[in-house]
Amino acid sequence: MSDEPGNVMEAVPSGQSVTAQVTPLARDDFQALLVEVLPAAYGYALRLTRNRADAEDLVQDAALRAFRAIATFEAGTNFKAWTFRILTRCFWANHRRRQRRPNTVDFDDTPDLYLYARSAEHGLPWQGEDPARLLIDRLGTERVAAAIGELPEEYGVVCTLYFMEDFAYHEIADVLEIPVGTVRSRLHRGRKMLQKALWCVAEESGIVTELTPREGDA
Amino acid sequence: MTHLSRYTCEEAFRRLDDYLDHELTPEETALVHEHLETCAGCAREFNFEASVLRGVRAKLRQIDLPESLQSRILDVLNDRR
Repeated sequence: MSDEPGNVMEAVPSGQSVTAQVTPLARDDFQALLVEVLPAAYGYALRLTRNRADAEDLVQDAALRAFRAIATFEAGTNFKAWTFRILTRCFWANHRRRQRRPNTVDFDDTPDLYLYARSAEHGLPWQGEDPARLLIDRLGTERVAAAIGELPEEYGVVCTLYFMEDFAYHEIADVLEIPVGTVRSRLHRGRKMLQKALWCVAEESGIVTELTPREGDA
Repeated sequence: MTHLSRYTCEEAFRRLDDYLDHELTPEETALVHEHLETCAGCAREFNFEASVLRGVRAKLRQIDLPESLQSRILDVLNDRR
C-alpha cells in the first residue's frame, strides 16, 4: 500500500469497504482541479525546496502521485489540502535530506512582539495604521522567504502553509498529518521565530540602519 | 453584552494569534474586540502584528507558475492514461 494521503483504509471503520466510503473523482475533473491548485502548489514547493528546478520536480512528482491515488480522493472534499499533503510527503521523502543546513539564527527564548519591540527600540518610523509595512516592503520577497528558510523545518513548513495559503489550523493539520494543537503551538512559536529572523535579515542587509533615524533628523 | 467579563491586557494578549487568525469562538472574539476598543496600547500591538502578517503574506504570494510546468505535468498525466 502506498503512503499517499487518501489512503482511507486508516479512516474507514472496520467492516466497511473503501469503495463504500469514497466517491471517486473522474480523471477529467481531477485535471481541472489540479490546474487550479498548481500555482499554489508550486509556490509552496518553491518555499520548501528553495530552488526552482527542485520545486518543479516536486510538483510534478506530487501531481503524478496524486493521479495514481485518484481513487482514494473523495469528490467534494478539500482537493487542495489533499494535494498539498501528497506534495509534503514527497518533499519529506525525496527532497528534504538535500536541504538540511544549520540555522544561523538563535531562536531560543525569542520574546513575543519581537519586531514591535526592536522597531520601537531603534525608533523606526511608523506608517499610520500599518507600521510594519515599511520594514516588510523594504525587505522584499526574497529576504522574507530567506527569513522563513531560517526557521527550524517543523516550524518553517507550518509557517509556509499558513502564510502562503488561507489554510485554517485544521487544514494545516490535515496537510501535515499532525494534531491541530501541534499546529497552533508551532505556529505561535514559528511566528515569533520568524519575526526574529526578519529582524536579523533586515540588520544584515542594512535595512535597519537605513530606516533608523539619525541624530539631527526631524 | 453586559454579561461579558472583560479581558485584561494579559488575557487579550494570550489570544492574539488566535484572534488574528479568526480561530476564537464568537464570545472570545467579542471580548478581545471589546478590550482593543478600550486599550490603545494593546490595539497598537495587535495592529502591528496584523500588519506583519499581512506584509509577509503579500510577499510570499508573489510567485508565478513557470509557463511550461503546467503543460509538462498534463502531458505526463495524459501519457499515463
